[in-house]
Amino acid sequence: MGVLDHVWLGVVTVFTQAPVATVFGLPISIVVLMVVLGFLGGIVVGATPGLGGPFAMAISLPILITIFGFNPDALLPVLGFLIGIMKGATVGGAVPAILFNTPGTPDSLMTTLDGFPMTRKGEAGKALRIAHFSSASGDTFSDLVLFTCAPFLAITVEVYLDFPEKAALIVLSLAFISAVVGDSVWKGILAALFGMFVAFIGTGEDHHPRLSLGTDALAGGLPLISVVLGVLILGEVFAALEDMWREKRATDSISTPPATGDNRLRLRDIRRILPFVGMSAGIGTMVGALPGIGSTLAATLGYATGRRLHKGDVPFGEGAPQGVAATEAANSAVAGANLIPVLSLGIPGNVAAVFIILATETISGFNPGPAVFRLTPDQINSEMVVAFGLFTAMVFANLLNWTVGGVFMRSMGIMVRIPKQRLLPIVLLLTLTAIYAQRPEMLSIYVTLFFGLVGYLMRRLRFSVLPFVIAFILANNLEDAVRQAFSATGADPWFLFSSPISIGFMALAVLVVVFFARGRGGQ
Amino acid sequence: MTFESFRSCAVAAGMAGALALSAGSAAAAWKPSGPINLMIAFAAGGGADTQARLIATELEKTKGWKIIPQNVTGKGGAVMARKLKSQPNDGLTIGIAVTETFGYNMLAVKKAGYSADDFTYVTTTAGSQMGIVAKTSRGWKSIQDVIAAAKGGATVKLGAMSAKLADIAYTIEQKYGVKFNTVVFRGGRKVLNAITAGDVDVGWVAGIQAKGVRAGDLVNLMSGETTRLKISPDVPTLGELGIPYDAGAKFLIVAPKGIPADARKGIAGAVASVLTDKSTKAAQFVQRAFGGPQLISGTALEKLISDGIAGSKKLMMATK
Repeated sequence: MGVLDHVWLGVVTVFTQAPVATVFGLPISIVVLMVVLGFLGGIVVGATPGLGGPFAMAISLPILITIFGFNPDALLPVLGFLIGIMKGATVGGAVPAILFNTPGTPDSLMTTLDGFPMTRKGEAGKALRIAHFSSASGDTFSDLVLFTCAPFLAITVEVYLDFPEKAALIVLSLAFISAVVGDSVWKGILAALFGMFVAFIGTGEDHHPRLSLGTDALAGGLPLISVVLGVLILGEVFAALEDMWREKRATDSISTPPATGDNRLRLRDIRRILPFVGMSAGIGTMVGALPGIGSTLAATLGYATGRRLHKGDVPFGEGAPQGVAATEAANSAVAGANLIPVLSLGIPGNVAAVFIILATETISGFNPGPAVFRLTPDQINSEMVVAFGLFTAMVFANLLNWTVGGVFMRSMGIMVRIPKQRLLPIVLLLTLTAIYAQRPEMLSIYVTLFFGLVGYLMRRLRFSVLPFVIAFILANNLEDAVRQAFSATGADPWFLFSSPISIGFMALAVLVVVFFARGRGGQ
Repeated sequence: MTFESFRSCAVAAGMAGALALSAGSAAAAWKPSGPINLMIAFAAGGGADTQARLIATELEKTKGWKIIPQNVTGKGGAVMARKLKSQPNDGLTIGIAVTETFGYNMLAVKKAGYSADDFTYVTTTAGSQMGIVAKTSRGWKSIQDVIAAAKGGATVKLGAMSAKLADIAYTIEQKYGVKFNTVVFRGGRKVLNAITAGDVDVGWVAGIQAKGVRAGDLVNLMSGETTRLKISPDVPTLGELGIPYDAGAKFLIVAPKGIPADARKGIAGAVASVLTDKSTKAAQFVQRAFGGPQLISGTALEKLISDGIAGSKKLMMATK
């Protein structure tokens, strides 16, 4: 079976798997339905200040697994929904940023700089249309890069990397994430080491349950979803609740100036913003492909580059459409590209990718990594079919984005009125319910609450949680890779330095840490 | 008694109890007094878990029992075994694991927290078709070719998915005076992937190699079972090579020690009827994934367990 057969099978699966309804004589498959629901839900979530794509992905993952089960059939509906949320939230985030000067997601912060001034000038409609156009363009571009790069990179890895190189590559990724995220390299490395420590409880090759203190509760290892959701979601909720309690922020009355100016998106507007969209899409894609650097940095970089590029009559910061375009194209272009390391190496680079990996770890039949894109003559590689099914779902989500996304997004201004003090308890309840539904034991709740506290403390001590989460997820892969490399080289203790490639990876890991540690020495 | 006649008995029992009693057997007589908890020692979603859940669904459908499956994973079944042993022995709590849980895996730790005598063994469901596998393109026809290559100075990397299999590979090394670099993976699927990718030269695979062997891409070099492999009857077994170990494993249903004899028989009979009825999803899955059911119960199963323990002890002594 060739690559094209797999592509075709992937497409067919997406559009025919388990039809749930018929519209105009066309059967609607479960995958299509889930992508639509995820995308629309993502826009709503993105448009709600205080919520973001990762929140929604985190809460829906355990619920989706409860609904669809653990069999390979569940992969595409679940992944389709998550992808939909990821894309929808990116678009939706611009809405409150433009209309109310409140970023819906952290990466829309830069959107407020020009989006809100445009609203004050009575051009809210135009700003939203530009945000949508740029976001959809950046996203589509990034997906195209993903579709071409991921299989290519995976095959390269497969051909050139042996056990020691794979171990070294994971070390490099962890070093990079620890160094890049947060404001201190050493705190990042500490967080990553702590994540690995937690992952080593009850796992490993040996039959003795290590670090389990003799309890059966820990002997099977900590439940993956409980730990990740605890640190990421509960930690955030606890920290936000405390902030609210401290600040007791005065709630301003929210109002939008009436739309008086030109609110259409005209061809000449598109022509004007296109260079900025292109530039930012490129930046966002590059940033997305590197593990650990999120869409917020991409948006900042995109905006800064755009400002330097800009020579128009309205300067950046005073309502320049180019500013909105540069930000939105950059932060949306991250979404597709950050799946490149996920699909080709099995290494998640940001929080959204963490949930894609969690889904594939929980549901069987798809192990992101080099094996996904392997061709065996006369046989169907079902993992490759899933990968192309996923690509199809992404293309479909993009089509949705281009067609109904804009209209739906512009109707979401109302979400900003949901008060945070109502929202946070709902998130808390939903998270705990979802976790209990997926694994009905009190242990999973206790673990979640404990790691919620851990996540809260890490935030208060200004430790970044992302290195913790990613190291927690990669630790067992690293251990396997190290053990395998050690035994495959015939117990050579210097296996990490046994080939030029692995030496290169290790040297790069050290360089990254030293470079970022020096660069931030003064802070 | 076939499954069909069994079912008609059950129906008759519902309509006229006395008639059914005279026609029924011990298997039909036992009925659980409440829902059965089924502890699955495998991770959710894998082949072993799917098998267990399909059997449970089928038992609910055909017998009207209520079964609550729950995954209790960790340490090769040890976590499940420790939990199961202290449950009430009324037949309402059973577990599914592999024979290794009550053999090698139990003996490999100082304090396993359970012993083989803590359980009543109900029935096996299916078994492995364990072989040492290589890509056909390597040109090897049997394990002897691999040994010859290793003797000729080639580095042979061998994939294994458990410590026991690594130990057995070590006894092959000792017997023939060669050295393999044994690499341990999590699960046979990963070993097979590593073989296909060329990361390892040969590896233990428990049955999923059948598809590749049939297609001609893979070749079984040796049977790790006590019998020859169904799909490759020409290659020798471990025993034929003079290595007295059984690398194979079987899935089995266990209960806490001392469950009523009729419950033990009833559950074994019900599982057997599900797995021998080719129209059930469970039977079709077991056929596809494990090459068909292997049903051993009663004293034969007790012997299987004690033989497994004796073999594992011997293996551990030999590889110390």
